[in-house]
Amino acid sequence: MIVIEDVMVQFGGVRPINGLTATLTAPVAGLIGPNGAGKTTLLNVLSGFVTPVRGNVMLGGQPLLAMTPLQRVRHGLRRSFQTEQVVEDLTVRGNLKAIADHVVAAPDRHEAIDEALTFVGLGALGDRLGQSLNLFERRLVELGKCIIGKPKLILLDEPAAGLTEEEGNTLRELILRVPAEFGAQVLVIDHDVELIRAMCKETIVLDYGKLLAIGPTGTVLAHPDVRRAYLGEL
Amino acid sequence: MSASEQTAQALPARAPASKTLKQLLHVPLTMAVFALVVASLANSFWLSAATSTVALSLSVAGLAILYGQLGLVSLCQFALVGVGGWVTLRIGHAFHPPFEVSMLAGGIVASFVGLVFGIPALRLRGLYLALVTLMLAGAFQIVISAWGFPDGGPGFLGRADGSGRAMLPRPDLADGAVAYFLYVCAVTGIGLLVAQWHKLSRPGRAWTLIRKGETVAVASGVDVLTYKAWAFALSGFLAGIAGALLAGNVGQLDGRAFGAFESLNLFALAIVGGVFNWYGALIAGLLLRAIPALLTDLGMDGYMTIGIFGVALFHALATAPSGIAGQIAALASRLRRAAGREQ
Ligand SMILES: Nc1ncnc2c1ncn2[C@@H]1O[C@H](COP(=O)(O)OP(=O)(O)OP(=O)(O)O)[C@@H](O)[C@H]1O
Ligand SMILES: [Mg+2]
Repeated sequence: MIVIEDVMVQFGGVRPINGLTATLTAPVAGLIGPNGAGKTTLLNVLSGFVTPVRGNVMLGGQPLLAMTPLQRVRHGLRRSFQTEQVVEDLTVRGNLKAIADHVVAAPDRHEAIDEALTFVGLGALGDRLGQSLNLFERRLVELGKCIIGKPKLILLDEPAAGLTEEEGNTLRELILRVPAEFGAQVLVIDHDVELIRAMCKETIVLDYGKLLAIGPTGTVLAHPDVRRAYLGEL
Repeated sequence: MSASEQTAQALPARAPASKTLKQLLHVPLTMAVFALVVASLANSFWLSAATSTVALSLSVAGLAILYGQLGLVSLCQFALVGVGGWVTLRIGHAFHPPFEVSMLAGGIVASFVGLVFGIPALRLRGLYLALVTLMLAGAFQIVISAWGFPDGGPGFLGRADGSGRAMLPRPDLADGAVAYFLYVCAVTGIGLLVAQWHKLSRPGRAWTLIRKGETVAVASGVDVLTYKAWAFALSGFLAGIAGALLAGNVGQLDGRAFGAFESLNLFALAIVGGVFNWYGALIAGLLLRAIPALLTDLGMDGYMTIGIFGVALFHALATAPSGIAGQIAALASRLRRAAGREQ
């Protein structure tokens, strides 16, 4: 469970997050909002790359903001980035090892990597270099990295961006399995409302740093303010 | 086929440790072949050139860690070679320990200086880091020309004021030219092996993540500061050992050989040789010492090398960013694939 209390982020005169209070409990929760709404900034606050000027965040009852980004990773926080970040000159296995090195005890690393490879279905590509992967395979590697080392919270920043519908569906099926199989809560940003509808029980909508709506996905997406601000309806 | 059978097939049971071991084995094997071929063919002129070639390749291996792995430009590597050589001579003349002790001292001090030289890299990358490290190389040049190298005289500074300079003796077990060449090959082989092991294991993976982006590295649990510092320390250590081996080659060093231009040249040739394959360092060493020696042997002006290197660097940057070693590796994998198809 993530509890966000009165968080404010300020960059000069811009407040990409402005007094946000929200509680997310669903195993897979969605985060949507128009471009520049502050979605990535919220992920950066949760993972520690942006420090809010005010507010409080609790993850499973523990205060998150007191921890450094590295401590949060060791505590079980994982994230992917809006642009994929697979290392070109490491193999698929090497990319997974690169995180397992730091979050899994040495004797269990091999098994953890195999488990992640099998989960994302890249078992046969373990020895391929990152540079030879297509976008879908790269997104799968990133998801694989996120499930290594007993994650507690996984933050995915537009994991399906640029994928075909079929690929997006495969990814969605995998993400849906994560909470039950790895015990982690997942927070997903995506612009594809249908993907969010199909994947997330609970959704939070941001609009220029403010909370526009939060609650069960169906209710939230039917909310008139959301339809107006986000879906461009009058 | 059941699901579990599929998984078993998709994940062939292998021991990844043995694969790393096999990749590491290339280093000593190549070095041994290289050493034996050169030792049996070269005359004394070429043997001396080959000895500095091999020693310098160790300092290039350090550069390759910083640039090839971390993506950081360091233009003061030759100054660190100078520090290692300086300390080796100093310790050797002052305390007369076995050569290995002086050499290790040179490596360790250069490693600390390398760590200090790496501090700007905590904040800077790219052009700014290049400029700052080049200025450090310039500062080193000024210090050694003002202070002088300990060239075998008495006292702490060790200046030989016309009283005849003492030479640093070579290691006891490698006194002759051929023996010392083989000694240098052995030490360098170990150094290259250490560098390659780093590249293939945990530190190498952390370094490539840092090159990708520090945020990405942190998000993967990498302690960026520690791994960066370790890279600079290791790179400095390798440069220091290279300096020690150079000092042992002729028993002394000329302070003028450690100017800022040499650092620049070393970096350029590291790129031409290739920073992504371990043997790129050896190729860079060959370019740095064997080409000038060849020109001298042919009776041509050694300064021509600067022009040749300029063209080679341009060629590398324009068409082959992974250097000569990268081209060799690509050719080798093409040949392997072709051979695989024929079977
Ligand atoms: N480091 C920064 N410095 C200054 N302004 C920033 C910084 N990061 C983000 N912003 C600003 O904060 C606002 C929110 O950005 P953010 O990246 O969080 O949006 P987003 O909802 O993820 O948008 P998108 O859907 O385009 O990814 C934008 O106006 C952006 O320009
Ligand atoms: Mg964003």
